[in-house]
Amino acid sequence: MSFWFTVFRQVGRNIRQTWASQLMTLLTVSLSVLIFAFFYLIYANMLTFGEKLGDDLSLIVYLEEEPGPELQQQLTKKITTFDEVEKIRFISRAEAYQRFARQLGQNQDVLNDMPKDFLPPSIEVVPLKNLRSLNQVKLFSAYLSRLPGTLKVQFGQDWVERFYYFTKLLSIIVLLSGTLLILTTIFMVAYTIRLTILGRQAELELLKLVGATNNYIRTPFLLEGLLQGIIGSSVGIISLYALYEWIKLRFSGPVFLNLFEFSFFSPVVSITIICVSILLCTVGSYSTMQKFLRI
Amino acid sequence: MKINSNNGIETMIELIKVSKEYPPDVVALKDLSLSIASGEMFFVIGMSGAGKTTLLKLLCSMEIPSSGLIEISGKPINQLKGSHLAKLRQKIGVAYQDFKLLNDRTTAENVAISMEVSYKKPQIIRKRVRDLLDQLGLSDKHNTITGELSRGEQQRVTLARAIANSPTMILVDEPTGNLDAITTERVMNLLNKCNKGGATVVIATHDDSIYRHTSHRVMELRKGRPHMMTGGIE
Ligand SMILES: Nc1ncnc2c1ncn2[C@@H]1O[C@H](COP(=O)(O)OP(=O)(O)OP(=O)(O)O)[C@@H](O)[C@H]1O
Ligand SMILES: [Mg+2]
Repeated sequence: MSFWFTVFRQVGRNIRQTWASQLMTLLTVSLSVLIFAFFYLIYANMLTFGEKLGDDLSLIVYLEEEPGPELQQQLTKKITTFDEVEKIRFISRAEAYQRFARQLGQNQDVLNDMPKDFLPPSIEVVPLKNLRSLNQVKLFSAYLSRLPGTLKVQFGQDWVERFYYFTKLLSIIVLLSGTLLILTTIFMVAYTIRLTILGRQAELELLKLVGATNNYIRTPFLLEGLLQGIIGSSVGIISLYALYEWIKLRFSGPVFLNLFEFSFFSPVVSITIICVSILLCTVGSYSTMQKFLRI
Repeated sequence: MKINSNNGIETMIELIKVSKEYPPDVVALKDLSLSIASGEMFFVIGMSGAGKTTLLKLLCSMEIPSSGLIEISGKPINQLKGSHLAKLRQKIGVAYQDFKLLNDRTTAENVAISMEVSYKKPQIIRKRVRDLLDQLGLSDKHNTITGELSRGEQQRVTLARAIANSPTMILVDEPTGNLDAITTERVMNLLNKCNKGGATVVIATHDDSIYRHTSHRVMELRKGRPHMMTGGIE
């Protein structure tokens, strides 16, 4: 009990003595958590968005000739050797015509002059529903277009490509901001604690002389790093949440947010981010102590 | 515990051919062998620069000897590390010649430090601090920042910090340098009280008024060598 009493008093003293730089560190920690979490939030939402898009994604392979049952089997085999797929469906000329007619609805009469077989037969390939397969769609389509008797492969080329590069870019930004988070938290915390240690060189010397143990001297500094981590990361996450709520309120009109469900981190993810930041801050204070508080 | 073979009294401090050189070539102590019994009061005297402070620094392992062996209650202290060294230091109270007070803290906080490191309860610390300051005539300075005290007052605060944690060994460097006769007597009374309570006390001083009539052993150092040993015959 008196151990923690002395430890907390020491922490209080440290904070009082270097409060300006403590505040700076706190701000830096929360800012880097905020930046990282911001990009990560967008990234995570893009991923869920991508999954949903994947649901409706299919590749249409237009064929020259209507494949017989034998050829159908061969094609199916060829397609599945490249990648597993969710579904393969063969669409004959007639089916294609009916479908098109259905899509036209009331304007069906434009088809009246057309022969019933003017549309080519096709294969509808539904890839597996995950982002990896979304990324692979391009390769997949290239593969399919090389199959014998293929006229053309179609899918939402443009947006798939754009979406793919956008998520790729985002993942790089997330990585960069994550690195930034790691560096700033560790170094800023290490720096402030170093400042505190250098500012109380005389006292720490004396403490050693009167028989203070390592724990006695170090625990307050560790705790200081821990506090920086807890407060800094909580502030970061909370301000991101506030930002999120504000944006939701401000742009709740028919703008991009309604395009897909944009949601905040689950509590588990939030707590994980906070815990990791706490860990980083503690590592920062620990590394400084290893350097400057050798006993 | 080491037992002194001739009289059966435990040895607290044992020095065997201890030398201390400071770079480049200052010989502060030369081949000093010395044995101080547990519960003894021991005076170290000598001119300025004779090596008194050096001897005390070696005893509390603030400095390491260039050669020789130092044992405190049977343990060679220069091999102690980490928590073992910390535990030993908690049992040694040192009043430094240069005080080593934290001059931005109050008198009470300075005295309390030596008890805090061994996790004494706050209420016990508070009582002990009041007690000691009272005995040293510093009650009214309880909450004064030590940087604002006179040198004589600072000296007594240093002494109070040294003995606060009831150490088994007390090393005092020049305890009365800045004090008048009456305050000197107060300080010596306190040290005698600690000694009666069982603590081994080593005092380094030039002040002949405190060792002139003593029955305890007095060792004179000259240029780092023991020159004369008096008293202690009983
Ligand atoms: N850190 C040091 N570096 C170099 N020389 C030192 C150091 N400390 C002490 N000395 C030298 O060692 C010798 C003994 O010094 P010491 O402080 O032990 O003397 P002292 O007997 O305590 O003197 P005083 O009565 O003035 O306090 C002196 O010549 C001093 O200059
Ligand atoms: Mg001296």
